[in-house]
Amino acid sequence: MPKILLVEDNEMNRDMLSRRLQRKGYSVISAHDGEQGHLMACSEMPDLILMDISLPLMNGWEVTRLLKSNESTRHIPIIALTAHALSTDRDRAFEAGCDDYDTKPVEFARLNEKIDNLLTVKKS
Amino acid sequence: MILQNLSIKRKLTLITMLTSSAALVLSALSFLIYDLVSFRHLLIQDLMTQAEIIGYNSAGAMEFKDVPAATATLSALTAKEDVVTAGLYGRDSKMFAHYSRNNNVIPSLLPAHSQDKGYRFEGGYLQVFHDVTLNGERLGTLFLQSDMRQWSVRAKRYAGILCIFVLISGLFAFLVSSRLQRLISRPILHLEDTMRMVSANRNYEIRATKSYGDEIGKLIDGFNTMLSEIQQRDTALRGANDELKSRTGELEKEILHRRQTQEELLKAKHVAEEASRAKSTFLANMSHELRTPLNAIIGYSEMLEEESRESGKSDSVHDLRKIQSAGKHLLSLINDVLDLSKIEAGKMGLHLENFDVAPLIDEMTTTLQPAAAKNGNTIRLHVANNLGAMHADITKVRQILFNLLSNACKFTDHGTISVDVDQSKFEGRDWILFRVSDTGIGITAKQKENLFLEFSQADASIARKYGGTGLGLAITYRFVQLMKGRISVESEPGKGATFTVHLPAQVVAETPESARSTTSSEVAPSSEESKTRKDTILVIDDDASVRDLMSRFLGKLGFHVVAAANGEEGVRLARQVRPMVITLDVVMPECDGWTVLKKLKSDSALAEIPVIMVTIVDNEAMGLDLGASNYLIKPVDRDRLAVLIEKHRAGRPATITGATAAPFISNPPQRRRESERRASGKVDHAKDLVSRR
Repeated sequence: MPKILLVEDNEMNRDMLSRRLQRKGYSVISAHDGEQGHLMACSEMPDLILMDISLPLMNGWEVTRLLKSNESTRHIPIIALTAHALSTDRDRAFEAGCDDYDTKPVEFARLNEKIDNLLTVKKS
Repeated sequence: MILQNLSIKRKLTLITMLTSSAALVLSALSFLIYDLVSFRHLLIQDLMTQAEIIGYNSAGAMEFKDVPAATATLSALTAKEDVVTAGLYGRDSKMFAHYSRNNNVIPSLLPAHSQDKGYRFEGGYLQVFHDVTLNGERLGTLFLQSDMRQWSVRAKRYAGILCIFVLISGLFAFLVSSRLQRLISRPILHLEDTMRMVSANRNYEIRATKSYGDEIGKLIDGFNTMLSEIQQRDTALRGANDELKSRTGELEKEILHRRQTQEELLKAKHVAEEASRAKSTFLANMSHELRTPLNAIIGYSEMLEEESRESGKSDSVHDLRKIQSAGKHLLSLINDVLDLSKIEAGKMGLHLENFDVAPLIDEMTTTLQPAAAKNGNTIRLHVANNLGAMHADITKVRQILFNLLSNACKFTDHGTISVDVDQSKFEGRDWILFRVSDTGIGITAKQKENLFLEFSQADASIARKYGGTGLGLAITYRFVQLMKGRISVESEPGKGATFTVHLPAQVVAETPESARSTTSSEVAPSSEESKTRKDTILVIDDDASVRDLMSRFLGKLGFHVVAAANGEEGVRLARQVRPMVITLDVVMPECDGWTVLKKLKSDSALAEIPVIMVTIVDNEAMGLDLGASNYLIKPVDRDRLAVLIEKHRAGRPATITGATAAPFISNPPQRRRESERRASGKVDHAKDLVSRR
């Protein structure tokens, strides 16, 4: 059962996404701010991280940078989720080291496909 | 010549005097000469007569050689004062008797011998020889000598009289001429005076007085005419000058006015730009704020739908779909607003790629089939065979077609929607032509005017009946423009409308991003030379006390601090120093923090430097949107700032390796797939939404 870390500050979105992911058969753990997200990523070593970008304390770009600069966590695929639909966001997501990118509101089927892709890549 | 420089007065007097004197002297002289000549002749005649008488009287004495008698005869000459000497010569030409006025005169004065008869002048004397005859016989010769005393006395007197006469007449001529010359000289002098006055005072109103009708009078007339002419011109010139002055004044006022207007306009422009920026920011924020709850609405409804379907409660599935559909409609509206704000803010870039046109058209018609079916419409496709590929932003082409097609579906009831796709060639370029025609309600000429403007629908009733935001065509229009294409519309109200879009087959990116990359590449070489300073922090803040505090605080932590008092300087210093971290204030005169941030992030050499916003403006989303790494609100929590900077010090080099190690480099198609999915996703959920115009 792949473990997914969901870093999201909005409670409703966190609840909704984690429940839907669980229904798809993932084990979901969640963090509500950037620092907690960073800590949990390091301690729990999830198989994949869904990272919101506008987070309190430390934003998603920073958490991603930190994780990607850390030898032990850099292998974890990160999908950035952003409500900002500016074209620069996409570029910045990849620049910061994200493995994929999606806009909110989440198109669940699409997101699921992305998760599947990354987990398959990781396994192989 | 002295004469030539004399005044005209003198000249005239002199001329008159000289002329009259010369005439006088000449006439007097000729008269004098004539008189003297005739007087001399008279004297000669007189002396010869005298000689005849004396000769006759002394003939007897000569006959008888009576010397005393002859001498006595000669003595009769005493009565004649001018006869100086006389002598009688015998036949032998020897002196016979003689006479002298003064007896003591030496007889040697007399010629020794008698000479031929007649008269002659000799040594100022008149001499006469006369034959003394008796009864036809020559007895001897009589000699008389006169000193012409009478003649010289007369000549002297005449000379005196002439002199006096000349003097008197000269004086008289002087008097007369000096009076008469005024006739000529006075008007000339007056003219001269007038001229001098005119030229000295530059007063062209003075006129010379005309005294007589002669040539000088005409001269004065001419002079006066000339003066009036000059006066007129002078007046006209002065008038023109005054006018020019007043015009210049008016112009200066005009210029001043224009400058003021310009300044006002500039201010207004700044205000408008600020407002526009604020609007874009607001829209970006709003869309963010709206999407978050929407995220939950769509997500929960989708989840519930799945659950309901699994648990067999199919009756609620339909309603949950409606919630999803409404949510997705709302999302697409928000996306439109955001798109438009991005276009307006100049942030809408083009992601160009090669794709085949025909599959895209198929995809679009399939997507819109449900929307067409809803109103009982049929879609007819006419796609040229040899279309091939085009190089453009597929997402935007898709959206253009989607908007046109969904409009056509929306405004047509039980009609036909034709889609023509063809290629054409003009202006030396290849174009792809998309034509969407419907048989719907059409557009009036008046509605056409505002068709492509934001938020404008054909009229209010349309909005009520068909819904929509009025953004669809505005966005379509902007996208077409962005790709340097053309859009046009033909319509007959009640019979349908035809939208024609021409897009270049090879779209050339001329977006702000590409413009920026050229600038930054120009800047890059110089900035590459200077290496990033590991411990330097650039503080950009217009408040001196903040700069001071930050410098001290960061200095204590062991950082080297460079401070800039305004945005421009900040960007310049950033290029020069390449600091490790930049702290940036937002509210600054002229170039605000947002602008500075944009500049920093658009410069490839500086984009990687983390920027920490330190400001009183509470707009974290904006800051992060523009690329700031962190957002701190004043008054600054120093510990937090220290932690952040420390993190950047630790994380910076790793970030760079992290970025290069990012999978998208090794796996670029993934990135493209993502963009396609994103675009198609928009279409997917658009299937359900109520179309808008």
